Amino acid sequence: MSIQVLRLAALLYAGAAAAYVVFFARPRHVRAATIGGALLAVAFLVHAIGIGLGCKEFGGTEFFTQRGSLVLLGWLLAGAYLVMQRLYGLPTVGAFVTPLVLVVLVPTLFGQPGQSEVDPDFIRSRWLLQAHIAVAVLGVALFAIAALVAVMYLLQEREVKGKHFGALFSRLPSLESLDRLNQRLVRAGFLVFTVALLAGTLVASQVWKRAWEWDPQQVRALLVWILYGALVQVRHLGWHGRRFALMTIAGFALLVGSWAALGAFPGATRHGGTYQ
Amino acid sequence: MVGLSHKSAPIAVRERVALSGDALRDAVAGLRAMEEVSEAMVVSTCNRVEAYVVASAPEAARRFFLDRAAEAAGHLYESHGHEAIRHLFRVAASLDSMVLGEQQILGQVKEAYGVASAAQAAGAFMSRLCNRAFATAKRVRNETEIGRGASSVSQVAVELVQKIFGDLKGRAILLVGAGKMGALSAKALGELGADRVLVTNRSFEKGLQLAQQVGGQAQPWEQLTQLLTVADVVLVSTGAPSYVITRDLAVLAMRGRKQRSMCFIDVAVPRNVDPACGDLPNVYAYDIDDLQKVVQETRQARAEEAIRAEAIVEAEMMAFTRERETRAALPVLASLRQRAEAIARAEAERTLSLVGGKLDEKGRKSVEAMAQAIVNKLLHGPTARLKEAAAQGDSSLPGAAAELFGIEEEPQAGRGEKRGAEVVALSEHKR
Repeated sequence: MSIQVLRLAALLYAGAAAAYVVFFARPRHVRAATIGGALLAVAFLVHAIGIGLGCKEFGGTEFFTQRGSLVLLGWLLAGAYLVMQRLYGLPTVGAFVTPLVLVVLVPTLFGQPGQSEVDPDFIRSRWLLQAHIAVAVLGVALFAIAALVAVMYLLQEREVKGKHFGALFSRLPSLESLDRLNQRLVRAGFLVFTVALLAGTLVASQVWKRAWEWDPQQVRALLVWILYGALVQVRHLGWHGRRFALMTIAGFALLVGSWAALGAFPGATRHGGTYQ
Repeated sequence: MVGLSHKSAPIAVRERVALSGDALRDAVAGLRAMEEVSEAMVVSTCNRVEAYVVASAPEAARRFFLDRAAEAAGHLYESHGHEAIRHLFRVAASLDSMVLGEQQILGQVKEAYGVASAAQAAGAFMSRLCNRAFATAKRVRNETEIGRGASSVSQVAVELVQKIFGDLKGRAILLVGAGKMGALSAKALGELGADRVLVTNRSFEKGLQLAQQVGGQAQPWEQLTQLLTVADVVLVSTGAPSYVITRDLAVLAMRGRKQRSMCFIDVAVPRNVDPACGDLPNVYAYDIDDLQKVVQETRQARAEEAIRAEAIVEAEMMAFTRERETRAALPVLASLRQRAEAIARAEAERTLSLVGGKLDEKGRKSVEAMAQAIVNKLLHGPTARLKEAAAQGDSSLPGAAAELFGIEEEPQAGRGEKRGAEVVALSEHKR
């Protein structure tokens, strides 16, 4: 049931992405951006219903599978972008974020959703664990958008520095606005990620009886946290523009790379498992 | 339409006949007051002065110029009917401008129309004509890319700065040297809302003068290094034969400003900014060639778009003239139809009063319908032919029809307008 609703959401996301891409290609069609925003908002709501139905079906255990976390990530990406657009405008960013939402969501739409071995009652009894999951995924979503904005920055910088004043030059926003947006996203992401780490540590101390175990997942999270923390700090030392953009992308590469590496060695971490 | 523009007359003549404000309004009113003129509008900008009149003789508009400056005689061009309409459409769409596709001209034509209506010189025809011209200009702007890109060096500078900094609120512009190009660009950058404009020049006196001109503060030349740490956009146009901004100086400045981005625009020849500055992170450096290249590209692109724009103007012009001529035939058509329908109604009533008692509701309806159908069938051919004749500019057929059917022609406002815009082309200076 929930999968059908998610498929509908994906269809709406595809529409939003198409509208945003049209707006990017033909900036004169301002209405395309408006349509994209509206479709994205509707898709976000439908997606929320899909997640709600999923929780009813699987009792929240689906978030302990890769599929479930992707469903959540796609949803929070869309939500974070909607909030961001409300605050700062820049609909051209939508042409980059909405396709990513699709990329994240599409693999979850096929096949049988795998059951996690986690006991639903175990999850239900721990609101801190639920919060940890939601907040951590939100952090990842913010870092993902930051990385996309950084890519846009590098593209535009290449145009401006290389004196190509062509199509990309006129369509991408100004370097300053991209840099500032990137900085805001990294800051917000770092804040959210810090909360997620604290919540995770608390859960670990309750369930594992020890807060720090040198579990690969913990090490990985700490590395990511340190890297983004450094990024927030070096801003004051004159790390602007290009370097900042490169670091943002590097941070996200570390995040995704380490996640993939962990996935390649099942059993390496106790995180997200049965907690027994 | 009679006028002169940057294409036909030197500035010395244009400035003699150019008008603005109250003088323009009085002049338009004066033009309208001439006996043979029924409607008038004068477009007066720094590149053109053109008088558009609906008149029985074009001499009136000619006199308008000659009364102001006798030397205008050799520089005037003149066109009538279709040609005049096309000319106005082309002007409004910026196809006749010095810089193709520039945006101000449409506003200026709108203003001219506003002045003409305020002076009660523009009537129904001028109103329809101008509205169509505005719509045409809008279509050209929307459907072609004629307005795209930056068409002057200072505009390119503005666009570049915009892509680097967004706007310039809270930022400072520094003008190094008293070159003309630098001052021009500084003025253009003013639209981005910079907080401060700083000016520095080797000779402080000249710097002061320039600062007054561009509304900035003059700073001593010795402080150049400090100024570079403050200013975000640096416009350089000195007469120095070598680099004023060396790479080392730029490195120093960037350290002083904690690597915040800065942009050098070098409009001097020989160059005053070492191009190697542009290789530093967060430093953007452009010279006059970079900017001029963009201007060239824009001009070329616009010239290509102009072909499409001309087609739109042509189509709109044709549509407008067709409508106008159909409109001229309409009074005859309307009275013809009115009369025929009155006859049909009367005849139907007469028949019904004779035999109506024997007919039911359905029967009565059929009699009325039959009368109406006869009128429609009978008038179908003449209507089509009258419209067609009118669209081809043949005004003799409507007249003949009126005479044939015994319709009296009331004098119409449309009559004068028709004569004023007779389709004869005469254009001395375009050939």
